[in-house]
Amino acid sequence: MELIRTEDLEKTYQDHTIPVYALRGVTFSVGSGEFLAIAGPSGSGKTTLLNLIGALDRPSSGNIYIENHSLRDLDKKSLSALRLNRIGFIFQAYNLIPVLTALENIEFKLMLLGVPTKERRERALRLMGELGIAGLADKRPNEMSGGQQQRVAVARAIVNLPQIVLADEPTANLDSVTAHALLDLMLAMNEERGITFVFSSHDRQVLEHAKRVVILHDGQIVEDNGKR
Amino acid sequence: MVAIAIGLISLALTDSIYNGVIIQMFRDQVGTHVGHLQIHRRGFNENKVVQNWLPDPDAVERRLAADSLISHFAKRVIAFGIVSSASNSSGITLVGVEPERERLVTTIERSVSSGGYLQTGQRAILISRRMSEKLSVRLGDKLVVMATALDGTVGTDVFRICGLYETSSSEFDRMFVYIPLSYSQQLLGLGERVMEVTAVLRNPEDAYALRDRLAPVLGPEFEVLSFAELIPMMMQIITVAKQSMVIYYVIIGIATMFGIVNALLMSVFERTRELGILMATGMKNRNIVTMILMEAFFLSIIGTVIGLGIGIAISLLLAGPGINLSAFAEGLTMVGASSRIYPVVSLDGIINGLTVVPAIALIAALYPAVRAIRLEPVRAIHYV
Repeated sequence: MELIRTEDLEKTYQDHTIPVYALRGVTFSVGSGEFLAIAGPSGSGKTTLLNLIGALDRPSSGNIYIENHSLRDLDKKSLSALRLNRIGFIFQAYNLIPVLTALENIEFKLMLLGVPTKERRERALRLMGELGIAGLADKRPNEMSGGQQQRVAVARAIVNLPQIVLADEPTANLDSVTAHALLDLMLAMNEERGITFVFSSHDRQVLEHAKRVVILHDGQIVEDNGKR
Repeated sequence: MVAIAIGLISLALTDSIYNGVIIQMFRDQVGTHVGHLQIHRRGFNENKVVQNWLPDPDAVERRLAADSLISHFAKRVIAFGIVSSASNSSGITLVGVEPERERLVTTIERSVSSGGYLQTGQRAILISRRMSEKLSVRLGDKLVVMATALDGTVGTDVFRICGLYETSSSEFDRMFVYIPLSYSQQLLGLGERVMEVTAVLRNPEDAYALRDRLAPVLGPEFEVLSFAELIPMMMQIITVAKQSMVIYYVIIGIATMFGIVNALLMSVFERTRELGILMATGMKNRNIVTMILMEAFFLSIIGTVIGLGIGIAISLLLAGPGINLSAFAEGLTMVGASSRIYPVVSLDGIINGLTVVPAIALIAALYPAVRAIRLEPVRAIHYV
């Protein structure tokens, strides 16, 4: 079943007076339950593409559909609701909220969804247990290693069981052992829970784990080994 | 928060000092001479001549005695005249009083700083210390009092100084001298006539209602005046003082507003990345606005409570010994204010502080809140 579709997606930034073409006519689709990597050199448009799919940014032209709903037709409020209910983000720099503990960072999304305190605490703790980070519950981000923070970020992204998890270079700041463990963890989430993962990366390990790889170059898709 | 607290300390102190000045001025003016209510012949207040004597004072007294709102009242003779010593003379307002009843109506007896108060039947005169200096006289010296009598002749009599008084009003001290009622009636050829009856009420706020009730009962020949009509200048000063406080509130409010806008803008600026994460997580604009408003609200409440608490504590500490403003005594006594100010903490001031500043904080927080929700998540997340 098709979950994400982009149509002739273009994104142009203005660098002073010079236009920078980040994406140039990207058309592709992602099925439900895929474990897909978007690869390409720096500046190829990987992060821009993830930001557009995740409704964090708007395209200059073209359109994105999530389950056949056009993102262009959604206002800010609806885009927020989409991000809250259907999409989880994992960032290269983890982006945990520094004043909250690991448990609170994970719980936060459930709080926004209106889940009662007791239930959200139980759900967050259960997930932390499954991900092997139960011991970090009371630690703040500055008390955790990069790998630990990224695991917490994964937990935060999937705690409400979104349909899609978008991960922007999730292993870029991790050593190879930790990166491997994290990829195994996400693959397990994909297989056990049916969550669709879309990565941007140029890490060979990530590409080896991916079931499908889309390669971008200068804002265009130059290769897709599993084109739908 | 510190700025809010400092602002509130200064607001609470200023408010209590203003209150103290207003209450003292009111008490001094009303307590020294005016009372809460005066009854005259119609026109006396505009034209204080002996010919405007009060008709049927017995009927007026019966009426006042029967009213439960009234605490005490006393008859008076009022006339303009001249007092002379061997070396100098001065224009005066001569007040003939019933000493025993006057002490229940005004504080003049308690204002005597040297010698003693008037005694019924004693041919004595009570003047201010300031006037004794002007006339170069001392206790026990004789003074000649002259005033136009009812028949148009000039009444003259000699009185021995029994006491010297001091009030907070230099203007009052310069003008008012007291003699027993019977001697004033004799001096002015009034017989049993008086000029006014002055009353004090159990609750000063009833003065307006009592005035409105008594005026039609006594009839058109009489004028019944509350303290507000009797000391309009004082009431204006009080009004101006209250308006000044409003202006002060506005100034503090604007300063608070700028402080909060600045603090919250800095906070939004410093937390751009976190706001981006919150937006990416799906936090709605409404929630972000609420979060920033709540932050401003709690910031202002904590600052207000601390500031008010310290301000009130300082005011209460100063309320005992008072604040000595003798350096400005001349200016203060001219407007009838004492040179020692006793701050008074008012419930209104506390309520104003507790409501106005947080309300201003919420208004001030709107701009930073709007700035926050205008952030684009993608740029905010990557903000360094």
